[in-house]
Amino acid sequence: MKLEGEYLFNGPREEVWKLVRDPDVLATALPGTQSLNKISDTEFEGVMHLKIGPMAGDFSGRLVVSDEVPPESCTLTVDGKGAVGFGKGVGHVQLIAQADGKTLAKYTGDLTVGGKLASTGQRMIDTVSKSMVRQGLEALDKALQARVAAQAEDRPVEYKPPTETEFAGAVAKDVAGGVLSSPEARMALYVIPGITVLVILVLILSRCR
Amino acid sequence: MTTKYVGQRVTRNEDPRLLTGQALFVDDVDLPGMLHAAFLRSDYAHARFKSIDATAARNRPGVVAVYTTEDMGAFWKPGPLLVPAPHSIKDVIFNQRTQIPMARAGDKVRHVGEPMAVVIAESRYIAEDALVDAVVDLEKALEPGAPLIHDELGTNLASYVRQEKGNYVQARAQADVVIQRRIVVDRGVAAALENRGYVVQWNAKEQELTMWATTQAPIALRNLLSATLGISENQMRVIAPFVGGGFGPKIMACQPEEVLLGWATMKLNRPIKYIEDRRDNFLATTMERSQIHDVEAVLTRDGRILGLKDVFIHDTGAYNPYALTVPLNTQTHTMGPYEIPNFHTEFKVVFTNRMIVTPVRGAGRPQGVFVMERVMDLAAKELGLDPVEIRRKNMIPADAFPHEQGIIGQDFIPLVYDSGNYPATLEKAKAMIGYDTFVKEEQPRLRAEGKHVGIGVACFTEGTAVGPYEGARVTVESSGKVSLVTGVGTQGQGHFTSFAQIVADQLGVDVRDVRVVTGDTAQFHWGTGTFASRGITVAGNAVNAAAASVRTKILKHASKALGAPEEELEIVNGQVRVADIPEKSISLSELAARANPMRGSVEPGTEPGLESTQYFGPKYGATAAGTVAMIVEVDPETMMVEIKRYVIAHDCGTVINPLIVDGQVHGGVSMGIGQSFYEKLIYDENGQLLNASFADYLLPRSTDMPHVEIGHLCTPSTLNPMGSKGVGEAGAIPTPACFVQAVENALADYKLEILETPLSPNRLFEFLHGT
Repeated sequence: MKLEGEYLFNGPREEVWKLVRDPDVLATALPGTQSLNKISDTEFEGVMHLKIGPMAGDFSGRLVVSDEVPPESCTLTVDGKGAVGFGKGVGHVQLIAQADGKTLAKYTGDLTVGGKLASTGQRMIDTVSKSMVRQGLEALDKALQARVAAQAEDRPVEYKPPTETEFAGAVAKDVAGGVLSSPEARMALYVIPGITVLVILVLILSRCR
Repeated sequence: MTTKYVGQRVTRNEDPRLLTGQALFVDDVDLPGMLHAAFLRSDYAHARFKSIDATAARNRPGVVAVYTTEDMGAFWKPGPLLVPAPHSIKDVIFNQRTQIPMARAGDKVRHVGEPMAVVIAESRYIAEDALVDAVVDLEKALEPGAPLIHDELGTNLASYVRQEKGNYVQARAQADVVIQRRIVVDRGVAAALENRGYVVQWNAKEQELTMWATTQAPIALRNLLSATLGISENQMRVIAPFVGGGFGPKIMACQPEEVLLGWATMKLNRPIKYIEDRRDNFLATTMERSQIHDVEAVLTRDGRILGLKDVFIHDTGAYNPYALTVPLNTQTHTMGPYEIPNFHTEFKVVFTNRMIVTPVRGAGRPQGVFVMERVMDLAAKELGLDPVEIRRKNMIPADAFPHEQGIIGQDFIPLVYDSGNYPATLEKAKAMIGYDTFVKEEQPRLRAEGKHVGIGVACFTEGTAVGPYEGARVTVESSGKVSLVTGVGTQGQGHFTSFAQIVADQLGVDVRDVRVVTGDTAQFHWGTGTFASRGITVAGNAVNAAAASVRTKILKHASKALGAPEEELEIVNGQVRVADIPEKSISLSELAARANPMRGSVEPGTEPGLESTQYFGPKYGATAAGTVAMIVEVDPETMMVEIKRYVIAHDCGTVINPLIVDGQVHGGVSMGIGQSFYEKLIYDENGQLLNASFADYLLPRSTDMPHVEIGHLCTPSTLNPMGSKGVGEAGAIPTPACFVQAVENALADYKLEILETPLSPNRLFEFLHGT
């Protein structure tokens, strides 16, 4: 599956940069993340608990960063598996500073999935994963803005990350709200093909560490 | 013999039990102390299986055992070849690789769904949970790029077969028109209502293994599995109770689940149940149809086919335990009802990282028929002929039977059509659907109204009722009621009624007084199975022979008892009486008692009781045939296709029960419609099945089913005393070919050419508007 998109962060590249270098922040942007550990400068391991509808389970992923050109781009390779299947992907991320002080993140990825992820949720995987990427990026952007605001006013950062339930709820609402127009869209609430995409998101966001 | 029941629409004896929930299915078997199994299956289509650590799974409370290949020791071995290779065909290549019980650590997994371990637990929930505990180290080292499925073979070629009739090259040189196309038929599942299921019980004190199984071939399963498990055949009893649909995959014997469950119950000395869920069914039950054909037809300008060349690739999946039945069936059904003087047919079978392919209702026939019927349509368009006219022109005439086809058939002997009247089926279907009126009047009128309506007409043959044999035992009990036992299993075909009708007519009893037992190896242990549309013909003729033999015994005993010659006797309502003096009679009950006396002695050389066991094996398979016609309307915006009318004129020889035949046709048609427009398995390039659920894999619903109009013709088979032929696959075989033709005709303005099946609204949309 091809994954491609861009997202405009409301903050300067340096701040985006700092943010995504912080595993703790990343973990809060991806609710359900139980751990995100640095193995080496270019290698991370994470465990994520995901629950949407009746499907739930731990999903462990391993991320390798390569071809790093700080602070512009890098390549990410992920290999994750759990009770619901496995995912393997390669992604490329670019951060582009904008004239108005914002940062454009562009990402492309190629994802292979197997097991229940592939056989049960294929038709929804695209929509659900896009929604999850968007929700994750929005959460990250809110964290970024909180950080930028705190710096400007020289006060502690006030940011409350979304809970796992809120996150899952937002994705479900997104999907049911017409991202998919077909009647099968409702099925998306009960499957979680996007799990692997969350892992990719970990990769995307933890770029350039 | 009177025919009070045979040929009548007798309502089914088994239905009261089935409809009131009183029939035994495998999942109804509940034994004290019964354990439950779940299988750990590969998520990968092709990967190196490095190791498995089952410690955590074994430690989970409620788990009784976790078995991997290491535990199996010498019991681990590839399964038996279920059908031999056709060595009567010259230069056949067949590389045998039958399926294995479980993938071995250190070896490879070859398809998604291949078992790697089995968990036996106190409940299915615990067993399923424990699957997650197993730590499996798989190395997906085998990325796409034509890796070998079976390394030691050095090739992915499983088989190669070539057959020739006449001289195609010469025919081509004389032809006016050459038509060449690539035609693709893709995969679907059998989708039986009831998935596979087993309950196994080893009784250590009796040293006996009982297996309730959803099998179509209980005797073959008992024979092969007892050999695999190292026990005697008479130590094993297979019971196939009521089964919710077979459709082919349940003919398989010695499947991984069967071997592992049989082996585990003997090891644990506890009964075990495994009921396959729908996901396992998609991933681990055999399926069918993927083939790619490169076909070439050569014709004269007036539409006579001079020759046909069909070269195809058949995907057998990861293993080939059922040898070449499916592609051979394709090969032998391509010529169908037509006179093809020169035929070159050639196929390669390839191993792939997908689920194993074995027969599914139709079993290779729909592919052959689809290719031939498409050729007819293409030729008709090319030559400006009417589709019905070109078919009529090439049909084998009614006086040309038996008709030698010039190639080897699926039963490995020269293919001969025993009897038939193909033009009559074509004319009947044409008349039933009102072809001429539709084409000349209705279609132009509807088109003028802006409707996209089209008609299709497709013809087919169906090789049915192959040997080797079946048997039956008929007994008149001292109650006067009759017991009939046969070895075939039953999956909804109405055997309890159609077999009973045959017996009731022979023995002059009420059809409700014939108690039928099928599919229990303890009751009858010779036979082959229910497949290839053979039950009513092969088992039915054995039933007829056994009943006729009992009739002879009855008349002999009655003649003595009544003091009248046998030829003056008749059997009516359970009484044998002298035809001219009806009050001079004796009941079957009394005769049965006399044939099995409590004291005294029987005549030397006689057998006790009014009983006989007889067998029947046809010389070769009987060929049924038919023509379907369809009118469809396509909505060009949504690309939904509505089947407005569906007509089938079929000829399956003598019909025992038209009601049951209608039911078989309806079921086949529903499957055919599924394979025309709904049911397509989608694999990604890594061998992952992407639509393994009924949310994504669509089946036709009752609202998608047209009213099926059936016309019965009867050209009795010359190969059996009853003159019957099979009908179980008739509806499935020609439907995709007819559907595609009708859709093309409905969208005539768009000049579509559809060379694949199954279709879908999306696919039709792509045809019209590009991908």
